[in-house]
Amino acid sequence: MSGVALPHTSTAYQEEPSGQAVAVPQGYWRAALPSYGVSVLLEKRAVAVNIGLSAALMAACVLYLSLGSVTLSPNAVVASLLGQGDRMTAFMVQQLRLPRLIAACFTGAAFALAGVLMQTLARNRLATPGIIGIDNGATAFAVASIVGLGVGIAPPAMALAGATTAAVLTFGLAAGSGTQGYRFIVAGIGVGAVFGAVTQLMLARVAIDTANAAYPWTVGSLNARPASAVQLLGIGLALGLVAALALARSLTLLRFKDAIASGLGTAVKVRRLQVLLLSVVLTALAVAVAGPVGLVALIGPEIARSLSSARHVPILAATLAGALVMVLADLAGRTLFAPIEIPVGIVTAVVGGPWLLWILMRPQRSRP
Amino acid sequence: MLLTKAGSSARWRCSSRHWMLILLTALVAVSVVSLLIGAGSVGPRQVLGLLSGSDHAEARFIVWELRAPRTLIGIAVGVALGVAGALLQAVSRNPLADPGLLGVSAGAAFAVSLALVLGASAATLRIPVAQLGALIGCVCVLSVARLRGVGSDPVRLVLAGAAFSGLLGSLSALMLLYDQRAADEIRFWVVGSLAGRRLDDLWAVLPSLLIAGAGVVVIARPLAALALGERAASGLGHRPGLIRWLAVGCVALLVGAATAIAGPIAFVGLVVPFVARAIAGPDIRRTLWFCLPVGPLIVLTADIISRVVVAPSELPLGVLTALCGAPVLIAVVRAKRLPML
Repeated sequence: MSGVALPHTSTAYQEEPSGQAVAVPQGYWRAALPSYGVSVLLEKRAVAVNIGLSAALMAACVLYLSLGSVTLSPNAVVASLLGQGDRMTAFMVQQLRLPRLIAACFTGAAFALAGVLMQTLARNRLATPGIIGIDNGATAFAVASIVGLGVGIAPPAMALAGATTAAVLTFGLAAGSGTQGYRFIVAGIGVGAVFGAVTQLMLARVAIDTANAAYPWTVGSLNARPASAVQLLGIGLALGLVAALALARSLTLLRFKDAIASGLGTAVKVRRLQVLLLSVVLTALAVAVAGPVGLVALIGPEIARSLSSARHVPILAATLAGALVMVLADLAGRTLFAPIEIPVGIVTAVVGGPWLLWILMRPQRSRP
Repeated sequence: MLLTKAGSSARWRCSSRHWMLILLTALVAVSVVSLLIGAGSVGPRQVLGLLSGSDHAEARFIVWELRAPRTLIGIAVGVALGVAGALLQAVSRNPLADPGLLGVSAGAAFAVSLALVLGASAATLRIPVAQLGALIGCVCVLSVARLRGVGSDPVRLVLAGAAFSGLLGSLSALMLLYDQRAADEIRFWVVGSLAGRRLDDLWAVLPSLLIAGAGVVVIARPLAALALGERAASGLGHRPGLIRWLAVGCVALLVGAATAIAGPIAFVGLVVPFVARAIAGPDIRRTLWFCLPVGPLIVLTADIISRVVVAPSELPLGVLTALCGAPVLIAVVRAKRLPML
């Protein structure tokens, strides 16, 4: 709920009918609409973090649009976005680079949002959908629909089915031992390995051309991005973000023990289910566009958490950071070794792998 | 009391001897099946005809030039990976330690990719480079295992290993994207498969397998003592540090050799000691003996399935070992108490 207008229900800060001044806690701004009798508390640090991340994302987007096989000046990019400039530039920016940029932003945001939800749900910073096998489940089912095993359903729907299957398997298998330990994660790795093998199995069955077309699915790339899936992801991301922000208060409480959370008025089981569902749907929709780029779901929330205060779950900051990471990773993959294009999944794996190891190696801290 | 104890021990030994017989029979049977069945057009009947004396040129070529070397290599790879898994589990005292899962195989594969990109030829250098990579991977894993907090939690070590091998895998992929020549040389090797390997590969790795075998014979007893704890082992006159280093050297030789032939294959080093321990009990010496037939049995079975499932094309062996190994991993992790080694 970082920095987001959130109706505050606690009586202490509610707008008094008399309109007299109310004490604002330190580190917060109070924004009030006296005529409606509503006031909200904004955390100063969260506002700053979100504005900073948005600015960084904008800058990265402009950079993304200007760099490539033909380098454009940022001015030309902005001009052609506004409908000015010559037609060649406009074609390059609007037809070639912009769709890919939008796909990168959407997938990064969706992965990171799903990641921060899942981490909070499992109270485990390693429990991102990619690590516990949900990405691989979605990929396996999406590939099944692409290589055409007699299934005529669109990839997003199949990815959703696969993500749900994997989530049910992982959480079901971990039912005895809870979700906080490393056992849960390793059970998820096992589930992911099975689905990864199934993907390989299906790719081996088909002709080499189809297998080449499906190659991005195995590493994660923004090359093959079906337009319909991107649209669906955009809708899903918008709805999911709203839903996550509506759940923000419960999410903050879900970080505590079950007893404390329910004592503070959270319907723990219902909220859990909602959060899990949201995370799974977002992951599935993102996988249907970009394949398994799961480590964004680890990096984005990590950046957001290190910037934000520990008071809240940094939902919006994580979403922005995920989009930023994805845009920068795809930019690096496109330009660093040009003319060879490195799939974005490999870039994030090379960057995120050491990060993951570092999280594992350093001494334990209790913060999820 | 003493008598009953001796009697039960004798009976136990007898039953374990039965087990060994059963396993060896199964291994012979699977080897024969491996000769009989393939992705090509030569079916069991032609092979049986060939074995009983008929002379069919195509069948002769396929069986003796393709399937027989493949079977022998499968046996060697199974033995190497199974024994390496048992050793690594004993040294790290971690029932989940598998050279493939912990990044030792990935280290070997990464070293080979690096050598190729730097200009070496796949034919000449592969085995020593793979063994060096495996050694470095091994040392990394074990130094991580000795970190405080990580080593006491077997599951956490596996997670670190998975992250490590994921990282090395994508670095290898990155280098191969960059260097087309290396990619062409290595493409069919990096997925992990027994297809198209020649007998020369086997002869090339045989010396290191023999050296590692001799090493295992030497360290089996000290390892069994080490299972009692470091103090007990030194009290019995062994030197824990030296034993560990010898074991690591053997693991590196074995995994490097297996990876150089067949590519990185995960989960075999997990499943084989798991099965062997279930038969033989906790003693590492017995476990190692049982790894000898169990390893090839599992690898050959997976290899046969990989030929049959998607005929006329073939499946990478690593896919099948993952399919049968991941459930074992989950089962071990789900157990209330992890078996401590």
